[in-house]
Amino acid sequence: MVNELTGWSEMKSLKLSRFLVIGLFFLLIVILFTAHIIAEWFGIISVGKGLIRGGLVAAVTAMIYICDIFAIIAVYHLHKLLSNIAKNEVFTAQNSRCLRIISWCIVFAGITFIIFSLWRFEFMFAAFFAMFLGLVMRVLKNVFEKAVELKSENDFTI
Amino acid sequence: MAIIVNLDVMMAKRKISSNELAEKIGITAANLSILKTGKAKAVRFSTLDKICEVLECQPGDILEHV
Repeated sequence: MVNELTGWSEMKSLKLSRFLVIGLFFLLIVILFTAHIIAEWFGIISVGKGLIRGGLVAAVTAMIYICDIFAIIAVYHLHKLLSNIAKNEVFTAQNSRCLRIISWCIVFAGITFIIFSLWRFEFMFAAFFAMFLGLVMRVLKNVFEKAVELKSENDFTI
Repeated sequence: MAIIVNLDVMMAKRKISSNELAEKIGITAANLSILKTGKAKAVRFSTLDKICEVLECQPGDILEHV
C-alpha cells in the first residue's frame, strides 16, 4: 500500500525499521567496547547523590555492560520480528515469543537500574521508564497471543 | 471435539475426486484436505451449502456427532 500524499509504502517503512535496528545494533556494540570511557565521563560530570559513595565508575561500567547485553538480546529479537514480518509471517507463535523476550529484557534492565540507583538516585527515573515500557510490551505480547489464536481459528475455517 | 466429517464416504458414493469437488465448491484442494482430515475448526454455512449442492445430500450425511 502506498500513501498517496507521501509516496511512503509499507515496504519502505519496514526497510527503514530494519535499517534503524541494524544501526542500533552497531551502536550497542560500540557502547559495549567503550563502557569504561562512558563510565569515567559520567563519574566526572555526575553531581548526584546515592546511598553508596565509592566505586561509582566501576558500578556504572558494570551497569552499562549488563544493560547493553539485555539491549543486544532485545535488538536481535526485534530484527527477527522484522524479518518475519517481511516474510509475511506476522501472527505466529514465534513472533509472540520474540515480544515476550523483549519485554522481559526491558524489565530486567529496569531491575538493573533499580539496583544501581544505590549509587545515584537518578537511575530510579530510568528504572521507572524501563518498567513502564516493559509493561507496555507485555500487554502488546498478550494482544499478539490472542491474535495468533484468532488467526489459527480463521485459517482452519473452511 | 465429537464431530466427525464423513466427506470421503459421500465422495466415494458419488464417485467424485477431491480435486473435482474442490473445484466445484470453489475452495482450494489444500482446504478440502483440511476438512477431510478433520483438522478444520469450523465450516462456513456457504461452504456446507455448496458441498450439499454438489454431492446432492444433507448436512447430516457429511457431519456426524459421536
